[in-house]
Formats: sequence, structure tokens, C-alpha cells
Amino acid sequence: MRVFKMRKEDLREYLESLKKVGELWAPVRKGDKFVYDKIDDVDKVELKALRTILPPKKFFIPQRNTVLKYRLNNEYADPVEEVPFRILFGLHPCDINGLLILDRIYLERFPDPLYKKRRENTAIIGLSCVPDEKCLGKSTNTHYVEEGFDIALTDLDDKYLVWVSSSLGDDLVRYRIDLFDENITEDDMKQYVSWRNWRDSQYKLYYDLTGMPDIMVLSWDSPLWEELADDCLSCGMCSMVCPTCPCYNVKDITELSSDEGERIRYWDSCMYREFALVAGGHNFREARAERIKLWYTHKLKSFGHEFGKPACVGCGRCIDTCPADINVARVIKALKGEEVKV
Amino acid sequence: MADKPKAGFYGFTGCAGCLLTILNCEDELLDIFNAADVKSFLMANRANFEDEPLDVAFIEGSITTEEQLEKLKKIREKSKIVVAIGTCSCYGGVQAMYFGDGNFEKRWKQVYGEGKIELTEAFESKPIDEFVKVDFYLPGCPIDKKQFLEFYSQLVRGIPPRLPHYPVCAECKWNENECLLMKGKLCLGPITRGGCNARCPSDNVPCVGCFGPADEVNINSEMKLLLERNYSREEIIRRIRTFAGASFVRQFSKLLGEEAKK
Repeated sequence: MRVFKMRKEDLREYLESLKKVGELWAPVRKGDKFVYDKIDDVDKVELKALRTILPPKKFFIPQRNTVLKYRLNNEYADPVEEVPFRILFGLHPCDINGLLILDRIYLERFPDPLYKKRRENTAIIGLSCVPDEKCLGKSTNTHYVEEGFDIALTDLDDKYLVWVSSSLGDDLVRYRIDLFDENITEDDMKQYVSWRNWRDSQYKLYYDLTGMPDIMVLSWDSPLWEELADDCLSCGMCSMVCPTCPCYNVKDITELSSDEGERIRYWDSCMYREFALVAGGHNFREARAERIKLWYTHKLKSFGHEFGKPACVGCGRCIDTCPADINVARVIKALKGEEVKV
Repeated sequence: MADKPKAGFYGFTGCAGCLLTILNCEDELLDIFNAADVKSFLMANRANFEDEPLDVAFIEGSITTEEQLEKLKKIREKSKIVVAIGTCSCYGGVQAMYFGDGNFEKRWKQVYGEGKIELTEAFESKPIDEFVKVDFYLPGCPIDKKQFLEFYSQLVRGIPPRLPHYPVCAECKWNENECLLMKGKLCLGPITRGGCNARCPSDNVPCVGCFGPADEVNINSEMKLLLERNYSREEIIRRIRTFAGASFVRQFSKLLGEEAKK
């Protein structure tokens, strides 16, 4: 890891330069919210953006894309997916941690060539953030990143600290080395430490998640799941906005005019009844309560057993999104025996 | 020609917008007619053959008269597969928004007075599955062109078509829209079947439920959330009934009755 610093007023010029290297994507405003969008005008980039409606998973497993092309005579071929080199700017630590979790799923056990190609063809530039009342990152220990990015900026008052964590990141810095200063002083270090202390004190939500998998196991028969099922709309929005929900459904669409077709995959949610429906009509999770329990088991227990950390990165999107107020914070509070206002 | 499935397209009470949506598939129109042996499509064909058996019948519109009912039954008898297309055919349509409220006679008098219809007997508008078995439902007001083409392409090849089971919210989030329900709007997205690519919410217009109910709907929770947003119960029910028609009575009214007692 190398560290540089950059004057704040130089960021604009740097982003302008990055547009020549690849497609630049960053958070922009959409109504009262933010979304990652392709940047033509760098003045549209929201440096103080809160969580985007969809997490950056949309770049690596798009909402809907073609996974193979076929002919009805059993020939098939991988799709020729032309994904341009992209630079994603402004990812907060929670979202970078979310990508690291998707990497475990999509690169390790069942390597997914489309995900891999997109991941390799994308530069990640992180940006530090200040939490709002929905951020849980400190509880999930995802409020800092040590890996999973090429460059990360920490916003100190008058400058950015620039952390370079990959050779691609180094290339991107070298590309405009005139805007970076390698001369980090003791004052910069002190400023950084004091910023950390201040930022970490800004979290309004904090839960001790130690032993959460055990609590989940013991809560298997808790009445909580039925209570949540009364409220849950089964709309699936929680899965769509969750940075670590990796599931998709698959369908084949054959052209009307030929015998060629495409296999499409599209985001799915275990909150839907059809998700666990199998041939013969059996459903492993017919009841809504079972499905909600599965969702939270995945986030707070199962992933921990397999990969040693919860699958929740504390981004607060479920808190921000669910119309029925079902979210990680409410579930943790309820399971830990704290009073929950419904 | 021998291998092609025989198809018929029919319209009952409705605006003909669904059949028109099919005809409006300009780039694909020749493919639609090449993929099947179209025996009947009044809006498109000069020569129609009603005496031959069909592999698949696409039926638009609700049933409102004895004459239509006879015709519907004949179509069902001669067709291996019946597909209800459009919300009128699937759920009764806007003309069935008061389906089952017991006031049909009163409304009839309001409109026609003591007038009589001589040709046939008219009754309260009903979806076709009140009378015949329906194999597939392709809802929408009108149907979505892209969804129809996907569906049709699978069906004429004998591949079981799959239609979205999820609510509008799924596609609405894929499109990265702000949630209109969260913004206090009377949005029926969470209870309405997807497949329209969240067309209205993507234009900042709340979902009016024109695709009818999704597979699994938590009507009590939707009602509670809308009441919390200061819509009256009557207003909410009127909005849901507008397109849900018969499915409102079948799926929701009992549940909502229970909810009211709470």
C-alpha cells in the first residue's frame, strides 16, 4: 500500500483525466437518492453522496444479462460480452466490503467467467464517508477497507489521502502523478488519526454482533419470524438493494424468427415464494416467515460459518428501502432482546 | 404448414387494445403470422375459419353476455390451450371493478333505465375463467408487447412459457427508481404482478395495479402502510378494485375483512 495526498481542488481535474482512461461511473443525485451513473460532466459527481439505491453489484452481476446463446439443435456458445474498461469512483467502505463478499461467492467456489471478466475490467476508487442514522458499518466492522480497491481516498478537510492498493491503482495515479504528492508528513498522520476518531464517533447505530451466529441458531423457533411475516410485503426489494445478495434466476428466450435464443439471468430473491419451489410443486419455504428467516440466517449466521464474517456490510440499504420497516437493525435488536418499536 | 400450431385470436368486451398491441408489433408481425397457422384474427384477417380445432386460443376481453359465453365455450372446446390476454380477460377489467358487490342491477338501471336488450342477455362483467378453464394468464392493460413476444415464441415451439411471479417492485428496483410508496404515494407496486418493466413508477407515476395481483400478496400489510400514509380505506380499495376486478374478491376481500375487524 502506498499513500499519496491530493489537494481537494485537483480532484476535478483528476476525474476529468480518468474519463480518457475508461468509462467513469460515480454517484449522482436521483430525486432524494443517489445512483451510480456514467459520468460525462464531472460536476455531477456527488462527493457527499449517501448510499446509492442499488449497490455496485449491478456492474458485476447486472440486473438482467445474457449468459449464453444457443440454437435449438443443442449448439451453444458463450456470449461475446463487450464490457468497456470502467472506473467506479466513490465507493464507500461498506460497498467495497460488499464486493469482497461477492468475490468469495462468484470467484472462489464456483468461478463465474462473466463476473470475473467484469471484475478484472473495472477499477475501484473508494471514498471515505460520514455515516447517517442508517449506517451500521461500525457494527459489521466494514467501515474501513484494507483490500478490494485500487485507489481509496480519505476526505480530510483540505486534502485527500490517497491509498494505492494495486498495480492498476498505481498506474492510475502515475497517469496524473503531477496531481499527487508523496510527501506524507507527521501532521498528515495526526490529521488522519483525528479524522478516524471523529468519523467513528458519528455512528448512531451500533450493535455488538459478537456471537450473532449462535443467537441466530437459538432463535430458530422465535415468534419474531411470524411477526415479521405479518408485515413483509414479499416485494423482494431488500434483496435487490443488498450488496451481498447474490441470487439470480435463469430463463431461456428463443427468438420468434429463428431457432436462436439467449439464456438470461436476472436478479431473484429468496423472499419470493417461487424461489424454493421445485418440480412436482413442493416448496421448501412455503411460509413467508421461513423465507424471512432464511434471508437473515444468510446475512447473520451462515456466511459467518463459511467465511468467518457476517454477510451484512452495514450499508443501511434495507433500512432505507423496506416500506414495512423490516431490516437488519430491527432483526438484530429483536433477537438480542432489546425492545423493538414496530 | 402442417407442423405449425393452429392459433386463434379473439376479443370479447374490452377496448381491443391487447389485440392491437399484437398488431402493433410491426417488426415482428410477419414472424408472428409465420410461426403459427392463424385460423382466426378478425382484426387482422379477412378470411377466418371457425370450424377447425385450435392448438392455442388467445382471448382478450371479459364476458358480459350470453352470446359471448356461448362463443367462449365453443372456443374452449376446440382449443388445446387457452390463454387469457389482458386484464379484462384475466380479471374482468375495469368494467368489473365492482365485481361481486351485489349492486349490478342498480347500476344497470342507472345506465339503461327500464331499457331492454333484445339480442342477448347481458350480465355483470366477468373474467373468462369464471366460465372456462384457462391455461395461461398474460395480464396487462394492455399486455406488454415484449412479454407477449417472449410468451408467444415459447408457446408456438411447445416450450412451457414462464411469466413473472414477482411484483412490480422487483423491476422497479432494477430500474433504480425511488420508492413511491416510501414517498407517501398510493402505489400498488408491492401487490401487483411484474412484467411491465415498472413502466409507470419509472416515470414517477404510482402503480395502479393494471397487471393484477402478483403470486403472493400481503394485502393487509399494503393496506396498513397506505392507511398510515393517510389514504382512506375506501380510496385504497377503489384503487385496488379498478384493475384487480374479480381477483380482488377472490384474493383480497376476505383478508381485508379480517383486517378490518382488527
